[in-house]
Amino acid sequence: MKFAIALFSPPHAPSSRRALRFAEAAVAGGHQIVRLFFYQDGVHSASSNVVCAQDELDLPGEWREFVQAQHLDGVVCIAAALRRGVLNAEEAQRYTRSAANLNLPWELSGLGQLHEATQLADRLVCFGGP
Amino acid sequence: MATLHVLSHSPFTDSRLGSCLRILGSQDALLLCGDAVYALQAGSVQRQALELMPESTALFALDEDVQARGLDLPARLTQVDYCGFVALSCQYDKVNTWL
Amino acid sequence: MSKSLLIISRQAPWSGPSAREALDIALAGGAFDLPVGMLFLDDGVFQLSGAQQPASLQQKDLSANLQALPMFGVEALYVSQRSLEERGLHQSSSSLAVELLNDTALTALIDRYDQVITL
Repeated sequence: MKFAIALFSPPHAPSSRRALRFAEAAVAGGHQIVRLFFYQDGVHSASSNVVCAQDELDLPGEWREFVQAQHLDGVVCIAAALRRGVLNAEEAQRYTRSAANLNLPWELSGLGQLHEATQLADRLVCFGGP
Repeated sequence: MATLHVLSHSPFTDSRLGSCLRILGSQDALLLCGDAVYALQAGSVQRQALELMPESTALFALDEDVQARGLDLPARLTQVDYCGFVALSCQYDKVNTWL
Repeated sequence: MSKSLLIISRQAPWSGPSAREALDIALAGGAFDLPVGMLFLDDGVFQLSGAQQPASLQQKDLSANLQALPMFGVEALYVSQRSLEERGLHQSSSSLAVELLNDTALTALIDRYDQVITL
């Protein structure tokens, strides 16, 4: 089955970890993830500036590794990201901000990508809240 | 078209479970995760509401959240792991997460 | 045929960006000519009030975006009768033409759509 997975919560929310474990289980079960879409506070999980203590779960790091290892399409909503200070080099330059904190494998794009993913997928599964 | 409704807010501080129960279809299912599993707390009004759902409404909870909280579970509850969560997402026609 | 999407918006308008970001999903779907519907549930019904003055909170006017829904082709707009009544509101005070649905009709509505996002 083809899944579109959307994340709405920040990395420290339990639902963010739940989303990752679900995505891992879907892949392990032979399903396809057509796209991960990070919206609202979910954009923070794509930030490369999150620093976790060594004995704590590093969800942004785990997401990055998972997306790279599985060659997934990881899209971060550009409007939600800019509003929350998650910028790639291009956007940092455009808005003359001193730092970029969004790198590969993440891609900034619009809400059309969420709609396209829901059209391509058999199921849309959203994660957010606590 | 049966829906799997997914809840993760504590029902003691939030209205999502109440709203969900009012519009739940008889063939729909509930999956409790995170603090929403506190709805299973024995002796609570929420637990009673869950027990009163029609028999055709399946009740699931994510096993890790139940175990972490050490709850006493109702007989009608089925625990699922992430593999089971994925299977439920396939089994039901759509997943409605109350974000 | 395109899959239909129902956005259930249940956040009050001035409690953060959630209501606006739910609306943005609906508007984007409309812009792509997709069959998108929107249901106002729980505190989401406060978005429909015609007497709001967002400028006092230095916010943009959400109702302008709500009015844009039909222009973007999002004409399937619904509101929970129970949510309105619980809050002492009436459909007549709504700034937007929305269809009033009771709980049974809401169950049927969700059933009819292929995908749902509840924000």
